[in-house]
Amino acid sequence: MKNILVAGGGIGGTIVANRIAQKLGDEISRGEASVTVFDRSERHFYQPGFLLVSMGVMGAEETNLLEREVLDRRVKLYTGDKGTITKISVADRQITTADGSTHRYDLLVLATGSHIQMDEVPGFAQGAETFFSLDGAKKMLRAVQSFTGGDIVVDVALLPHKCPVAPLEITLMLDDYFRKKGLRDKVNIHYCYPIQGVFGIPNVNKMMMGLFEARGINIHSQFTLASVDVANKKILSKEGQELRYDLLIGVPPHKGAQVIADSGLGDRRNWVPTDKYTLRLKDHDDVYVMGDTTDIPISKAGSTADYESYTVAHNVAVDVKGEGSKKNYPGSVFCYIATGMDQATYIKFDYNNPPNPPTPSQVHWWGKLAYNKLYWSIHARTLI
Amino acid sequence: MICVSALKVYKSIDATSSSCSGPIGELSGAMNDALPGECVEIIVGDESTREDVHAWAAKTGNSIVLEEERGNGFRILVQKVK
Repeated sequence: MKNILVAGGGIGGTIVANRIAQKLGDEISRGEASVTVFDRSERHFYQPGFLLVSMGVMGAEETNLLEREVLDRRVKLYTGDKGTITKISVADRQITTADGSTHRYDLLVLATGSHIQMDEVPGFAQGAETFFSLDGAKKMLRAVQSFTGGDIVVDVALLPHKCPVAPLEITLMLDDYFRKKGLRDKVNIHYCYPIQGVFGIPNVNKMMMGLFEARGINIHSQFTLASVDVANKKILSKEGQELRYDLLIGVPPHKGAQVIADSGLGDRRNWVPTDKYTLRLKDHDDVYVMGDTTDIPISKAGSTADYESYTVAHNVAVDVKGEGSKKNYPGSVFCYIATGMDQATYIKFDYNNPPNPPTPSQVHWWGKLAYNKLYWSIHARTLI
Repeated sequence: MICVSALKVYKSIDATSSSCSGPIGELSGAMNDALPGECVEIIVGDESTREDVHAWAAKTGNSIVLEEERGNGFRILVQKVK
């Protein structure tokens, strides 16, 4: 019996577990292989939907389902203490969970994700709205809907973070939202980014800079958030700047999972050293790493995890069957970018081919919404 | 003179491919977590990105302690000063 354990039941862990079950269906039915997902939560959250929740485009209830309903029936699932991994021992090839159990593995997939750090920047948790959690998105929606004028500051605290295009999207959506509401002349929108420009990829940055300037959005970069002065409603940068806000929308710093640190597997931010092509934990043949968990400089996005799942599931199946040739991950990423409340563009790229985003249009907006709607029925259940 | 072999490299970044954070975003994130005196190694694929690394280091008060051609690009060690 080959035990395949998947640490994490987010987008990456769920999709890869389903793909592995599909590829090893015969082995599972003969009792020669098993696939098990471990996650603290019994609910599966579609985190890219939180952005749309924060702007009233998507209902909060549309962003989550029971993980059991999303997983292939051949995949075992542990949640709660039984699913909360407290230690990963790659030397002993086993994991320990919060109920004290240990589980031996033949192959391990690390998909423990990235996690927001609301308390890393002084004052951030008290002063900033954020759509990087579901509760935060619901709270932010109320703040946006009740806003009648003043300074809105969108700030990215630290790179990298998950959904890297989301700060661009929320800024452009806010602009369009207040235009359509007839309040744009009473609202000043500011965008603060910790490197020069508004995005890291040159031609996307150029396109977005043009959109921001055309929409009258004030760009503050390089602006590296040092602290939030809640009492005086201003943010301070490490470069010595100050900026007053009436509504602060922040992207908090991110880290990999605590269990990565507790197991001595990651760097100081708990990103796991991963081969960019094989998606293996460096120096380990029996551990794969995917999604936000890796230290690969690419994009911490659901689509990245989805694309990576093809490589990981295929290679896990080759490992189990002992035949076939392995695949490499080519660095594929695809992200829609909302440029308003009814228009969008997208980026599609890989290691060798940079993105070339098309002119924003309503067609791509509907594509973005359709992708979100189809996530539960198509993508999570790996029908494609 | 800097003794390169004595430098502690906290993290190495292969910035030769497209990345949403971009080479400077990845570098700034890693330097945030580096300790003073430690280095971050970044491999860049073109002259333009090399110049961006220099500009970022100058603006943030950090030091470039090693630079060498590697393949079609450059290997740069940036040391955290503060």
